[in-house]
Amino acid sequence: MLTRALLFSAICLLPGCQQNSMNIDFDKALSIAQKTQQATRTITEPEEITMGDGIAANLLGASPLLADDRVQQYVNRVGRWVSLHTERPDLPWKFGVLASTDVNAFATPGGTIFITRGLLQKINNESELAGVLAHETVHVLRKHHLAALQKESGLGVASDLLGEALKDKNSAILEKAIKAGTEVYARGLNKEDEFEADRMGIVIATRAGYDPFGLPAVLQMLEASNAQDSSLALMFKTHPAPRDRLSLLDKIMGNRFDAYPAPAQTDKRFDSEVSQQL
Amino acid sequence: MLGCLAAPAHAEQTTYTVRSTEIKQQPFSDAATVARLNENASVTIVTRQGGWVRITSKAGNGWVRMLSLRSNSTATKRGDSGFQSLFNIGRSGSSGITVATGVRGLSEEDLKNAKPDQREFEKLQNYEVNKAKAEKFARDAKLKSRKLDYLQSSGNS
Repeated sequence: MLTRALLFSAICLLPGCQQNSMNIDFDKALSIAQKTQQATRTITEPEEITMGDGIAANLLGASPLLADDRVQQYVNRVGRWVSLHTERPDLPWKFGVLASTDVNAFATPGGTIFITRGLLQKINNESELAGVLAHETVHVLRKHHLAALQKESGLGVASDLLGEALKDKNSAILEKAIKAGTEVYARGLNKEDEFEADRMGIVIATRAGYDPFGLPAVLQMLEASNAQDSSLALMFKTHPAPRDRLSLLDKIMGNRFDAYPAPAQTDKRFDSEVSQQL
Repeated sequence: MLGCLAAPAHAEQTTYTVRSTEIKQQPFSDAATVARLNENASVTIVTRQGGWVRITSKAGNGWVRMLSLRSNSTATKRGDSGFQSLFNIGRSGSSGITVATGVRGLSEEDLKNAKPDQREFEKLQNYEVNKAKAEKFARDAKLKSRKLDYLQSSGNS
């Protein structure tokens, strides 16, 4: 049987949560928690998507979409094609260019991926864009954000509470879970998750027919960028140094990726759909 | 990458090697070796093609592996080292310089205080494309799927 303390930690999955500030039925919560027998139930895919959609709506609250249908449609096509080369091709993948001039990209659980206008402007071709989007798809595939939330807040133990909350989409628990989920983007994931996203991302982009060196090229651009530039501050704070990421890719790529050029048509398309639009 | 082949002169900036590296006559590992660069050798980038970068240097000119190079961190304080210029030159519609004005909204504080915007979320959903459209988009540019396994992490290899 679960102790009250454990249940409390489960309910208080969210940073800043205080016992008496939460509008939940304690008896109901206890009975759900007892059912879990301390086992951490995996968050189901519909739950993951609901959480992720809520986080995506929050991120859009911080920065709206770039008002340019053509660029949005183009990025969605590149991203959706890339997503078909992952192990979760049937998620409701959605891609958005945020109007922000910050240089960054984000993935939310369940398959929403954002790239900022600031980063898109620094990208030179479709393979580089595909590399960035592929890196983000890995965060979704490997559920890095859910893992970060679970680790920091005991969400695993509380996932049945979350499951209950998800049945009623306006519940206070869900709202707080989404708020906590959004705050993960201010702190960042752990470094190993970022390295994994690079390692798997280059393979996914290559599977989709792109130049494997698109993502490394973006990392070299970031390495050469002025670290004092405030538009890069959050991205640099929440990711390992570009130099370390490049060193890792240098070690594992060797000469195995030499024979994978991208079709020239992708470059022409990027110029007309993005470079000349932004 | 073709766009990068016509690099304007102002893109030539210096960068350095992180290890001893062969300069090849062409961007292939079995191409003839022109010269060898020591670690920490300064090079000037001309262009990139896949995993190879065409350089000029005191030791010779030719192609070296892109990942054997890093940008010079002291130069980056000025905000315009070799790689940055290189990777901005493909852009015809933009100076590549991030303007200081415009929407930011993605600081740590902004994220912590973010409130949901359902209207923007609905717009996002409307841009979603199905598999068939994505596949057509790929065919239009002659993109072909390839089979490839994930790489092992370097930690134990």
